[in-house]
Amino acid sequence: MDVSAAVASRRSIRAFLDQPVDRAVLTRVLEKAQRAPSGGNTQPWNAVMLTGDPLQNLLAKVAEVIPQGVAAYSPEYNVYPPELDGAYQQRRFGVGEAMYAALDIPREDKASRMKWFARNFQAFGAPVLMLIHTPRYMGPPQWSDIGMWLQTVMLLLREEGLDSCAQEAWAVYTKQIRECVDIPDDHIFFCGLAIGHGDRDAPINSFPVPRAGLDEAVRWEGF
Amino acid sequence: MTHSTTVTDAVMSRRSIRAFSDKPVPLDVLKKVMDTARWTPSGCNFQPWEGAILTGEPLRQLQDKMRATPPQDPREYSWSDPEVLPECLARLHQVGADMYAAMNIERADKAARGDFMAQNIVSFGAPAVLMVYFPRVMGPPQWSDVGMWLQSIMLLLREEGLDTCPQEFLSLYARLIKDFLGVSDESHIFFCGIAIGYRDESDPVNAFDRKREPLESKVQFLGFE
Repeated sequence: MDVSAAVASRRSIRAFLDQPVDRAVLTRVLEKAQRAPSGGNTQPWNAVMLTGDPLQNLLAKVAEVIPQGVAAYSPEYNVYPPELDGAYQQRRFGVGEAMYAALDIPREDKASRMKWFARNFQAFGAPVLMLIHTPRYMGPPQWSDIGMWLQTVMLLLREEGLDSCAQEAWAVYTKQIRECVDIPDDHIFFCGLAIGHGDRDAPINSFPVPRAGLDEAVRWEGF
Repeated sequence: MTHSTTVTDAVMSRRSIRAFSDKPVPLDVLKKVMDTARWTPSGCNFQPWEGAILTGEPLRQLQDKMRATPPQDPREYSWSDPEVLPECLARLHQVGADMYAAMNIERADKAARGDFMAQNIVSFGAPAVLMVYFPRVMGPPQWSDVGMWLQSIMLLLREEGLDTCPQEFLSLYARLIKDFLGVSDESHIFFCGIAIGYRDESDPVNAFDRKREPLESKVQFLGFE
């Protein structure tokens, strides 16, 4: 698959088919992704790949505490910057509204929206969940390195006909994740990545995702 | 483009290029790449990335200013924490040692090493440079989003036959660069430059063997057959 086809066809998939993923394919993808660049060749990324029983155990453990709401949350970092100006709130709001419109769930129907949000914690039915962690001493530039590696993984998965959904949402259940998976205490848990074959026809996977125009992000000088 | 570059080709053939040919980079190609890179994901769809791509006269003017200015103190951000020692420092030293060995520069030859480091200011002769910055309010997860965007760009450029070098080095001139571009130092942090151009195939600095940790030390598999 062309790079541009991979970039353009990757989208956050929120409904997966019940079809397992071959470990050999994942190994191939991750071996190649080791070539992602990092400042000073730090390679700060670390991951645990879960499937089968270990994955089901985690999903069950988290399901137990979901009814407690935010009281059960244990994130180790701020997923959202505390202060953000309106343009970014608009972008966040825009994708949420587009998604719920595709699902025909109006804003007033908070219960249905919450139910959909909770599907995050079933990894949207994906057969594989990757949990990403990094040493706590890593600074913001190393988080950027992790991002470069993550996008490499997501694009290589596209080439294998696989889909993914990067899920920072998992950060709120870091405590439960640590109970199920051996993440060193001196590492911070960053996010999950649901991996599987997407149900590409599902409305949740086919609504148009809004993006800012190129002029909002990039300037040109001297051309 | 008639040829096709798979994701695998792009990932495997991308390397930090430290000697570029002077062949110019067409604007329409860059526009196409940057347009496709908009599809990079970001938490909450924030798309926190911003940048300016410079070439020609403005790029030369900025490089002249950098050459005439000492690196800023304090730095825009910390490259690495002291605690990163020694495991990460070993990797940094390794890549440095391999690079200088490829160029036949002795460890003791501080002058030659310094000259090569200074090549960062002119982005190793790349005809275009993407300067990357974003609002200071963005936290570590948004830096990750910016990283995803940068890797999209670097891989899409491979598809166009173009090469890159991400340069955190340029953050030594963060305030100067922002001032030159009219970007607010108060609201925005400068992250890095991305040198963009065509690789000089004949230069050994672009050909040394790069090392990576084995997968087993990075990824654990649970529940797989």
